[in-house]
Order: sequence, then C-alpha cells, then structure tokens
Amino acid sequence: MSQELLLLVILTIPLVAALASFTFRLRRPLEFIQVAATAGILLVASLLIKEVLVAGPVSALGGNLYLDELSFIVLMIIGGLGFILGVYSIGYLGYDINKGEIKPSDLGLYYGLYHLFLFTMLLTVLSNNVFIMWAAVEATTLASAFLVGFYRHRSSAEGAWKYVLICSAGIAFALFGTVLIFANAYQLIGQVHEAVLWTEVLKVAGELDPVALKIAFVFILIGFGTKTGLMPMHTWLPDAHSEAPSPASALLSGVLLNCGLLLVIRYYALTGQAIGFDFPRTLLLFLGLASVVIAAFFILVQKDLKRMLAYSSIENMGIIAFGLGIGGPAGIMAALIHTVNHSATKALMFGAAGNIVHKFGTRNTDKIKGVLKIAPVTGVLLIAGALSLGGSPPFAIFVSEFLTVAAALKEGYLVVTIIFLAALAVVFGAMLNFIVKSVFGAPLEGKEKGDLNLLMLAPLVALLIIVLTLGIGIPEFLNQLLERSVEIILGG
Amino acid sequence: MTATAIVNSLAVLLILTSLLVVESRRLKVSAYFYSLQSLVLISIFLSLAVINEAEQLYLWSITSLITKVFLVPFILLRAVKATGIVEEEPPLVGTTWSVILAALMVGLAFILVQPFHMLAVLDYKTALAVSLAHFLLGLHCMITRINALKQLLGFCLMENGSHLTLAIMAYNVPELAEIGILTDAVFAVLIMSLIAVKLYKAFGTMDASQLKMLKG
Repeated sequence: MSQELLLLVILTIPLVAALASFTFRLRRPLEFIQVAATAGILLVASLLIKEVLVAGPVSALGGNLYLDELSFIVLMIIGGLGFILGVYSIGYLGYDINKGEIKPSDLGLYYGLYHLFLFTMLLTVLSNNVFIMWAAVEATTLASAFLVGFYRHRSSAEGAWKYVLICSAGIAFALFGTVLIFANAYQLIGQVHEAVLWTEVLKVAGELDPVALKIAFVFILIGFGTKTGLMPMHTWLPDAHSEAPSPASALLSGVLLNCGLLLVIRYYALTGQAIGFDFPRTLLLFLGLASVVIAAFFILVQKDLKRMLAYSSIENMGIIAFGLGIGGPAGIMAALIHTVNHSATKALMFGAAGNIVHKFGTRNTDKIKGVLKIAPVTGVLLIAGALSLGGSPPFAIFVSEFLTVAAALKEGYLVVTIIFLAALAVVFGAMLNFIVKSVFGAPLEGKEKGDLNLLMLAPLVALLIIVLTLGIGIPEFLNQLLERSVEIILGG
Repeated sequence: MTATAIVNSLAVLLILTSLLVVESRRLKVSAYFYSLQSLVLISIFLSLAVINEAEQLYLWSITSLITKVFLVPFILLRAVKATGIVEEEPPLVGTTWSVILAALMVGLAFILVQPFHMLAVLDYKTALAVSLAHFLLGLHCMITRINALKQLLGFCLMENGSHLTLAIMAYNVPELAEIGILTDAVFAVLIMSLIAVKLYKAFGTMDASQLKMLKG
C-alpha cells in the first residue's frame, strides 16, 4: 500500500467504526468492532513507522496531511494505547453492565464515541493545515465531552460542562493566534494553499513579523495549553478526567493531553526558529514549573484516587513544558521521552484505578485498603504505576525525570531545578503514602477476595511491561524518532 | 463614506449588539439579540466581500446566515424551552460595572492591536480591534454570568469575534478549513446546549455557581 493511502486508511478506520457502533446495538458485534478497529489503527501505524524511519515524512492530500517523526511519537501513543485501552474497555464496561451502572444499550454510544474520539485525535496529529489542526483539537473536546458525561451522575454532567466550556473558550484563543500566523505567512508566500501548511510556514519562519508572532504564540499557548492542562488553564482537567469511565480517563490523560502538547510544540518550533527560542522557552519554563509545583500539593492532599491521578497529569504536562522551557537538544529530548513515559504510566494507573473502582466501589483512598491482599495482580500494578509516577527506578518516568533534571543543571538553572526537585519529592512522598496506606495494609472487612477478570488485567500487564522496558532503556526505533524530532524542533 | 468607514462603523454596531446580548436578563431575548448581531456580522462579511472583491466571503456569508442567524439561536431557544428557565440568575457584577468592564475591554483591544503592522490589517485596524473586543466581551460574559446558557452565549460571542478576525485577515482560507471551523462552531453550541440541559436535569438549576460537587 502506498504511504499516502496508509494515512487515509488510518483516518478512515475509526470513522467507519464510529458509524458502525452508533448503528449496531448488539453487544458482541460492538466489541468485535472495538477490537478490530483499534487493532487496525495500531497495525497501520506500525506499517507507517517503517516508511517514516526509512524514507522520512509522509504526506497526503496536497500536503494537508503530514506525518513526521515528531507527530509519529504521538501517533504511536494513540495507536498503542487506543488498542490496549480498547480491549480494557470491554472488560470494564462489562462490569458496569453487571453492576447495573449502565444499560447494555449504552454500549453503542460509548464505543461510537471512543472511535470518534480516536479519529479526532488522529486528525489533530496528522494535519499539517493549521486551521484543520485547530478544528481537530476543538473536535476532540466535542467528541470526548459525552464520554466525560457518560455516567448518569450529577457530577458527570458537571465535569462535562466545565470541560467543554473551558476548553472551547481556551481554543478560541488559539484560533486568533492561528489567523495571525496564517495572515502573516500569506503575505510572504502569496499562495493560500501553501500558507496554511505548517511545514511551508516553517520554511519562511525567519521572515515572519516578530511582534505578530509573539502575540500569536501567547494566544496559541493559552489555547492549546488549556487543552494540555497547563496552569493556570488546567481547572477543567481534574473534573473531566475523574468523572469519565476509567478507560476513557486513561485516554484523556494518557493520549489526549499529548495532542494539545504536540501543537504547542509545533508552534514552539515555529516561534523559536523565527525569533529565537528565548521567548517561547521563558513562557514554557514558567508555566511548566508552576504546573509541577501547584499540582504536587494537590496530589499530596487528594483523597479521590482518580482526581489524584488527574492532578498528576497536570504535574507531568508541567514536567514536559519545563523540559521544553530548559530547551536545547537535551531539554527537548527529555521532554519528548517524558511524553511517552507519562502516557504509558498514566494509562496503567487509570486502568488500575478502574479496577479499584469496580472492586471497592469507591475512589476514596481512605476506604481503599489492602488491595494487595484482595486483588493481588491489581495491587502489583498499582505499586508499579505509583512508583513510576513517583519517579522511582526501574520504571519509565524515572529516566525522563532524571534527564530533565540533568538538562536543567547543564543549562545552569540551579534555583528552578531545586524548586522542581522539591516538587518531585512531594509527589514521590504522596505516591509512597498511597502505596503504604491503600495497597498494603489489612483490608477492610467484608471485601470479597479475588482479582478482576483477564480482560481487565492483561491490557494493564502489557502496559506494565512497556513501563518497565522504557525504564531500562529507550528502544532503538524510538531513539531514532526522538533524535529526528529534536532536529525538527530546533531546525536544521 | 469610504469603504473602510462602512466596515468600521458596522463593527461598532457589532459591539452594541453584543452588549445587548450580555446585558439582557431574559434568555430568549439574549438569543434573539445574538441572531441580530450575527446579521450585523454578515453585513460586515458582505461589505468586505464587495470592497476586497473576495468571493470566498459570499460563501462564508451564506453559511453564516444559516448557522449563526438561524441554527444557533434555534438550538439555544430549544434549550431555553427544555429547561423552562426564563430569566438568568443575577450575575456576579451589576449592569453598571458590567458595562464599565466591557468598556475597559474595548479599550484594551484597541491598545493590543496598535503594534500590528501587517499589510492585511492596516486598513481595518478598527475592525480588528472590534473583533478582539468582541472576543473579550464574550469571555467577560462567560466569567461574570452564572447561568449556564448565558455562559454558552458568551462562547458564541467569542466565536463571532474570532470569525470577524478570520474574515478580516484570512478570508481566503481554503474551503476545507472554512468548513472545519464552521462545523466545529455549530457542533460546539449543539453539544454544549445538550450538556446544559443535562445539567439542568441533574441539578434542577442552570446556576453554574451551584456546581460544587467537584472541588479540590
């Protein structure tokens, strides 16, 4: 199959699957479509990696679709986690049906939205047209809003409302920035169809109006930064990510945030190559550090397990922004590795938290005791995930946090690094506290022993293996992607 | 009157109609004012189309007429009907302060566009300032109003502001992008109004300040 066709196929699969899921109402066919479609996306993504690694960027539809090494990293995350969490969803929703939390007739809606959500994220990542990029991010909000409000709880409606309102308002800022950049590029390029393409704008970066570019970057950072969950635009995130069904929470935290982030990085590269990296770096360093420090304290005091994980996502997005703020090849490399590591770890943790929700019927960490005795596999998964989030070796996040700190020290950021490390220590303490209090210890009485079913364990074990592998070393293909991505961002 | 003067005075009319949207207490009236304001917006699109000989703006005007003048107000009125709430809850700031704040935002917008020196905007600095002001007014409506539908109207105002910027600075964007942006706009309003109705059913109120289940 030709490369261009592969790009179209990967977008078509979830779209067709969404339509089919909204149409069919029977459980088994829906589950079959769920597995087949998510596996299909993963398969096409793996076919594309060969192309990208060997022949470089792939484009289609007159350059409107574009896949380079940088976007491939996020595509890989969408494909991998989309499949793993797709399988996990089947087990998770099966439990929901057994408990009477949802009706079997709700399944079509969930799976349909799941595919639609994947489609909008793929479109975000694959579009090279700055307006389609923008529209696709807004579409991710719209597609996932009903996933957030999926349960018929009052709190779910509240979470969905705050999510869609704040993210849409935020994204409106990004449109302003996008228009500014397009108008500016159009004057230089003179061709409409080229001036909308990020890759073409990047070629004339040096000639863009510096003042307009600075204003545009601020607007874009507010817009896509809202979607990424950076302080102070993060307020929707804990509400939305805690209210969604757990596999959807995992998708929101582990995958969606990276889509917003990728666009921030695209404009970071553009602005940096146009007027120097000092300006975007300063902004990201500040937002990143603020996100890490403030989120760390919310993680420490949080009693709701899923909200704790949501704040941890803000913290981790902060770490990535901090890495970009440090800048240079080392800082950017650390930020990109952290993106992958956080995604795998956070999907693992939200999945394990989903198992807890079904086993214990609560998210309150005061009422979750003795997980290891009641559900041993889930307990082990929780320990590993929490240790990784806390930044402990031999798990993935330790590696990228270490690289981030090393890059910061190398660049001479002594004071901010100390603040950064102090915040990471708080998170480590919070995670240790969670493990000691909830995972170990004697179970509360009346809890039936026994782990969850295979469909809810196997996908998480796969994630644990990924988290461990990334903790030991970065695979060669990923290393290649990362090195090329750093070149794309820094130019040259 | 020169061509740019027409555009600029229409732009001022836009600010007035958006103040009416923000300040009307009755939700239905607000929705009607939004429809009226969209008509003003479209007349700006048409003037720009004639002046700049920008044919794309005719298409933009027709789609805006369908979506902004009819479809979006229709969706909003449906939501008002579904909840039966006639009047919004008292906003966080009274009318006087609200208008003062709005005036400050308009001023801020005019200051912000001053450093722009791109060719495309030189003629329409006033209109550009208005589009930014409009955007900020929407934000103001979203933050200071506590009724969920009124917040949604605030979002619609922000959107009209952005679309005016688009028409001034980027009317020649390819159709594909135009379709994407307009589709998003309609779906955003549709989905938000559905969730707002869901919210009403769950909480028995449209008062977003009562949404306190999720904290910390």
